[in-house]
Amino acid sequence: MSDIPVFFLHGLVYAGLLFLVSSGLTLVFGIMNVLNLAHAAFYMLGAYFSYSLLHATGNFWLSLIVCPSLLFLVGAAVERFLLRRVHVYGHVQELLITFGVAYIITESVKWIWGNYPLGVNLGGFLTGSVNLFGLFYPVYRLFMFFCAILISLIMAAVLFKTKIGIIVRASVDDSEMVNTLGVNVPLVFTGVFGFGAALSGFAGVIAGPLLTTYPGMAAEILVDAFVVIVIGGMGSLGGALLASLMIGELQSFGALLFPKLSLALMYMLMAGVLIIRPSGLFGEEQ
Amino acid sequence: MTKQRSHAYFLAWAIFIFIVGVVLPLGARQYQLALLTEMIIFALFAVSYNLLLGYAGLLSFGHAMFFGLGAYTVAIVFNRIPGLSFFGAVIISVMVTTTAGFAVGSLLLRHKGVPFALLTLAFNALFYAIATKWHSITGGDDGLSIRLPDINLGFAHLKTTDITVFYYITLIIIGLMTLFCWYFTRTAMGQTVLLMRENEERMKFLGYNTNVSRLILFVFTGFLAGLAGSFYTLFNQFTSITAISIDMSTIVVLMVIIGGTGSFIGPILGACVYIYLQDFLSDITDRWPFIMGLIFVFMILYVPRGLSGLINSLIERLRGRWHLPGNIETEE
Repeated sequence: MSDIPVFFLHGLVYAGLLFLVSSGLTLVFGIMNVLNLAHAAFYMLGAYFSYSLLHATGNFWLSLIVCPSLLFLVGAAVERFLLRRVHVYGHVQELLITFGVAYIITESVKWIWGNYPLGVNLGGFLTGSVNLFGLFYPVYRLFMFFCAILISLIMAAVLFKTKIGIIVRASVDDSEMVNTLGVNVPLVFTGVFGFGAALSGFAGVIAGPLLTTYPGMAAEILVDAFVVIVIGGMGSLGGALLASLMIGELQSFGALLFPKLSLALMYMLMAGVLIIRPSGLFGEEQ
Repeated sequence: MTKQRSHAYFLAWAIFIFIVGVVLPLGARQYQLALLTEMIIFALFAVSYNLLLGYAGLLSFGHAMFFGLGAYTVAIVFNRIPGLSFFGAVIISVMVTTTAGFAVGSLLLRHKGVPFALLTLAFNALFYAIATKWHSITGGDDGLSIRLPDINLGFAHLKTTDITVFYYITLIIIGLMTLFCWYFTRTAMGQTVLLMRENEERMKFLGYNTNVSRLILFVFTGFLAGLAGSFYTLFNQFTSITAISIDMSTIVVLMVIIGGTGSFIGPILGACVYIYLQDFLSDITDRWPFIMGLIFVFMILYVPRGLSGLINSLIERLRGRWHLPGNIETEE
């Protein structure tokens, strides 16, 4: 029975990671009404950039800052040069273009880094274990969890305490009205899209050493993140947080209690939520 | 152009393509014949996808769940039921996919647009997970191979492992099915789906039950994809996890977008171009999926109506105002 706290912590760690990925996804959807299928590809790029940077410099802290910044640029460029061009054609075209970007990124990754898993050697104090109330727990997982909390707190502070945050939240509500009030909404779109990519990339950087870096990692987290935002309600950050916790713990305890069913549990939860509340736990009724 | 003439044009085209299909193998090598067979199978898959995307405006990222289910059902029933005939397996397979289409459709079709796309993706992932994990039935990552039984028509004995024979069987069955799809788009039901995409509120107001129409369409496309999937297994005499993976859903999206969603012919064209390009490019470079991705993004940015749209506008330019009969246009 001493497994239970360990699995609970594992669940929390994965929930933190999921929240980092799904918060960007749901924010972009809330503001631009675009479901970014390339979001998980950015996550994967983060992990691969970090792998190369670690190989070159050996400094993990550096890659925590550099990789998300690079992904901000990638994301902003995708929004500015691809997404904006097809905006006039409607949502299906927007969805398809992000789909194409995801496909190209995945293929480039296979091309550049190879179609096999890469291990990352961190070294330093991150590789050890720590005694947590009589329970030995890997430092790196705790580190991931604290990163997720820190980033979430920063995000909450920016969203709720600054002027930029007010503009972003207002754009989620009604971007046309914000545009008429004299705010450069296209710039907000580019910024938010780039910010979402950076968040996802950050998640990739911290996930890489734990979950191994390989070309299938994008598809794996993409489906989980989608389930999270469907359960939480599309465009709702609070919903994403709650759903991340639910999915994280469900996957962790599912693997412990019903190893054969653990994958299906997530979909069963999703189907259940959709039958009771089709727009998700915190979604707006359509 | 009147409806009758447009029908006649289309049928003339269909008969022409069919005759080409019949004559073509005479000079072809086995390898080219295999390629042609694959094109026909994927053409039906792409047409069924376009009934969702082009006609009903429903973007799905999980169409391979039906394709893969059809593929797996054929493989499983051949392994489990000894002495099962060729068409027996196909019939069981399409019955299973049709049922699955009904079950999934009644869960998903309360949603439209982006949530619908998401949910199809999630369901595809679920089907994929089942296929990988349920090792005792599906063979997991190893896949399942089958021994193809011959067809005994009474007056003739068809050796299905011969690629020429298999090609003709595929051409007739899948070809007829594709023709039926075209017929479907011209029926009252098909037109209802089309008008629903344009203005659903109004269709409701006119007394149509749009949810039921959408469900029927979804089940129908599931049936078609299942049929294509079962032929995919019969053709390869093997089914692998690829058939039900999200990669397969990706492929059909690529085909339809390259061919163009705006016409009935578009997806068929897209499937043929895709299979040909894949064959051609994979000889030159291992990186052919990358090139496919570039072509895809290029098409979306600069040729949003796809190859068929491109050809259409060329013909229109050449002949003044003239519409290809395959056009999905509501005014007639």
